[in-house]
Amino acid sequence: MSGDIIEAAKFIGAGLAMIGALGAGIGIGLSVQGAVQGMARNPDTYGNLFTSMILGVAFSEAIAIYCLVIAFLMLFVL
Amino acid sequence: MEKTHKWRWGKNRWIVLALLILTIIAVNIYAPIQPHIQAAAENLSSEPIFTLPVIGDFYLTNTLVATILMDVVIIIIALIVRRAAKKDELAPKGLAGVFEMLVEMLYNMTESTAGKWTKKIFPWFATVLILVLFANLLKLIPGFETIGLLHHSAEGYEAQSLGGNWYTILNSKAEEGGFMVTPFLRGVSTDINFTLALAIIAVTMTQVIGFQANGFRYLEKFFNFRTIFKKPVFGLIDVFVGLLELISEFSKILSFTFRLFGNMFAGMVLMALVAAMLPVFMPAGIMLFELFIGVIQAYVFGMLTMVFMAQATQGHSVEEEHSNA
Repeated sequence: MSGDIIEAAKFIGAGLAMIGALGAGIGIGLSVQGAVQGMARNPDTYGNLFTSMILGVAFSEAIAIYCLVIAFLMLFVL
Repeated sequence: MEKTHKWRWGKNRWIVLALLILTIIAVNIYAPIQPHIQAAAENLSSEPIFTLPVIGDFYLTNTLVATILMDVVIIIIALIVRRAAKKDELAPKGLAGVFEMLVEMLYNMTESTAGKWTKKIFPWFATVLILVLFANLLKLIPGFETIGLLHHSAEGYEAQSLGGNWYTILNSKAEEGGFMVTPFLRGVSTDINFTLALAIIAVTMTQVIGFQANGFRYLEKFFNFRTIFKKPVFGLIDVFVGLLELISEFSKILSFTFRLFGNMFAGMVLMALVAAMLPVFMPAGIMLFELFIGVIQAYVFGMLTMVFMAQATQGHSVEEEHSNA
């Protein structure tokens, strides 16, 4: 019985951990929005904006990846 | 004369259709199972290869086999490109041409960010990028993460002989003493040791390049006590910012490690689950997406290494501000 509760708590915890991906999604969306608007207004800056956009997306994505790693820890390691 | 190639859908679509029908038949004969997933790499050898006194036992893991395979592929490509480069042609053909394009692109990218430190930074950037790129693209090899050793497992499946020493796993739970597969090859980036080692190398070399560029003044970035006696309030803020910089250097290792590991491991789990649930056609689409993610992650890893190194070469910005004021 207690094993079942621990098993259930693992899944619930993994699901709750992934809530953090919400913020990263919003952040990635905002940064891509800014970059695409800049590219639309001034197409010559495409290269620079693309590099900065990828970097910004990588930084925000890292937060979502931390959540994912925590979820994986709960599911497969603990 | 320039020859224009016309894409021939006529032949290719029948090949795609035949492969699809083949998948449906194969899935009906041997239904795919949901594999056992674990975060650490699986051991291929039951006995440790060698033992170090403090650190512990070293096993032959499947990511290690994939790492060796990746190294062999990279070395072979390097030898081919070297032979083509020795011929001193103006426009190399084939593989050498592709790599000339890649390296030229990377070099220009470094030059636009790093300026006069390009020659120092470019080798690290290109090495990291190409290594991670090959590590992520290695899963194009057929049988990756599917062919391997059978081993007993508590919650295993039944196995059927295919003749000789070859077995296949059936989609039915065994009553007792079932089998699971330990694949020979597993994605290199899904092993946290690989990504951690790469992250430590990248961040350590960032510090080394910072010292080479600025000498011991590089430490002022982290321990900034210069302004604290002149302007106590703002000086305190400067000290605090320096400490934050110091912490952020360590968190770079963490974020490098878990970004690559998390992305590639999530891809592996997604691939395994989709292949078990929707075995026809869907895994191909997911595979395409995973290859895209792999290329993007290689780009991001290399790019961040390069940008951090370029930042480390630049001196502390407060001095310029003070000289202007």
